[in-house]
Amino acid sequence: MIRRALRRSALFIAALGLVALGWEAWKAVGPEAGGEVFGWRVIPKTNDRVMPHTWEMFAEFLEPEVRDTPLVWQAVLGYTWFTFRLAVVGLIAGAAIGVGLAVLMARFRIVERGLLPYVIASQTVPLIALAPQVATIAGTWGLPKWTWVSLLGAFLAFFPIAVATLRGLSSAPAASVELMDSYAASWWTTLVKLRFPSAIPSIVPGLKLAATASVIGVIVAEISTGLSGGIGKAALTYSQKATSEPAQVYTAVIGAAVLGLVLFGCIAVIEMSVMRNRPTEAAL
Amino acid sequence: MTGERLAVEVTKASMVFNAGRPNQVDALSDIDLLIEEGDFISLIGPSGCGKSTLLRLVANLLTPTSGDVRVNGKPASQARLDQDYGMAFQQSGLFDWRSVRKNIELPLELKGWNKQRRAERADEMLALVQLSEFGDHRPWELSGGMQQRVAIARALAAHPPLLLMDEPFGALDEMTREHMQAELLRICAAAETTVVFVTHSIPEAVYLSNRVVVMSPRPGRITDIVAVDLGAARDEDTREDAIFYKKITEVREALRGAEFGETARGLDDR
Repeated sequence: MIRRALRRSALFIAALGLVALGWEAWKAVGPEAGGEVFGWRVIPKTNDRVMPHTWEMFAEFLEPEVRDTPLVWQAVLGYTWFTFRLAVVGLIAGAAIGVGLAVLMARFRIVERGLLPYVIASQTVPLIALAPQVATIAGTWGLPKWTWVSLLGAFLAFFPIAVATLRGLSSAPAASVELMDSYAASWWTTLVKLRFPSAIPSIVPGLKLAATASVIGVIVAEISTGLSGGIGKAALTYSQKATSEPAQVYTAVIGAAVLGLVLFGCIAVIEMSVMRNRPTEAAL
Repeated sequence: MTGERLAVEVTKASMVFNAGRPNQVDALSDIDLLIEEGDFISLIGPSGCGKSTLLRLVANLLTPTSGDVRVNGKPASQARLDQDYGMAFQQSGLFDWRSVRKNIELPLELKGWNKQRRAERADEMLALVQLSEFGDHRPWELSGGMQQRVAIARALAAHPPLLLMDEPFGALDEMTREHMQAELLRICAAAETTVVFVTHSIPEAVYLSNRVVVMSPRPGRITDIVAVDLGAARDEDTREDAIFYKKITEVREALRGAEFGETARGLDDR
């Protein structure tokens, strides 16, 4: 197990190195002013403002954020931690909503038919457009803004969980369902003793998708509601300083990426503990 | 060793699926079957003869379209609520996330037994199926035959008077299968259980049963009942006895008769 984790980490670092190498290679040979393909402006400019050197990005972590303040890495770490907590709240809320909806849909076919289209439609609502309105409502209800930012994370997170759980709940083998029937077990007992445990291998991959979805939701909501303190707002602020400090915005990008990986890793750890006693491990 | 009381009483039971629609299936037609306590009854017949459906009527997993099913002297629905029977299927249906011991305890949990009482009974059942060392293993760590033994232990954990089995050894290889048959006889004799056993295999039905119920399809009905009774002391030598072959031939001919629609003979016998 540990050896596999080490090998995976090594592979990850190697892949990261390759990306950095590709970046630098393109910067070295690509056209300074960008370029066009069939009239489309698709080739990025390679000047230092658009594509700073990778080492400049990492060096930026050790600069002060603005004059006489903590260093950038400390600031980014703070923002990331802030957003991480919001994303975790969003993920937990999303998991509760998703599992709850799936149980309802599994229990009542009529609910499934009535609700599923709305569940699917909910995912095509443009979150950026929605967020400011939601924040306004939050204001009138006297709730702190962060709760609504988390809720928008939950809004994206609940969907993969609901779909995965619904599939999992109906995947219990027919013979096992008959067995529970032969014990005259109630629907609820069958859910707790059979359907839910047999849904776990489906729910876990759903949770992984939901973890990243929650991070995206929270970051987008931070930006569009203007909630400061998180990595979303920081990315926006840094990108506005792109002229003077072009590498700084990439520190926020890296922070957001690490955030997604850490949350994903948390789910992987949970997976290891709940899947420990199962015959097969999920592929991802 | 048949007793006086009736374990199962099926009276004029019919089962129609998709009634009134183009794909209507007469799964069972006018079934009468009496099973005494201590009987070992096999239901045998080609696919589609309704033997599994009949088993599910007895289990009250299906309700007959018409007719009556009584188990242990009460309506089948009440017998199911009282957990008067245990059930085992072709797929062992063990829960992967539970240890072997916890699987056996499942019906006891549902009956609300306390932890200590459950553990004691699980120990007893593990000993009965000779898997005492495997209580803390996961089901998927065991061989197919061992899994099926756990499923039997689970079915018998609450000491039900009746055991319903739907091709429980169908997925096992021939050697394991014969071994399991001997095991089943030993276990059921020890637990004094009445058994209704669905199977495709003629030798299996003959070896295990004191009566073999021969069924035929479209509509599913009982065409013959062959009394076997090879005696309580069946062992591996029994499989080479002349009487064993004679009974196999008898069941085979009954099946063939059923297949060619010579049903009158079987019906007249009763």
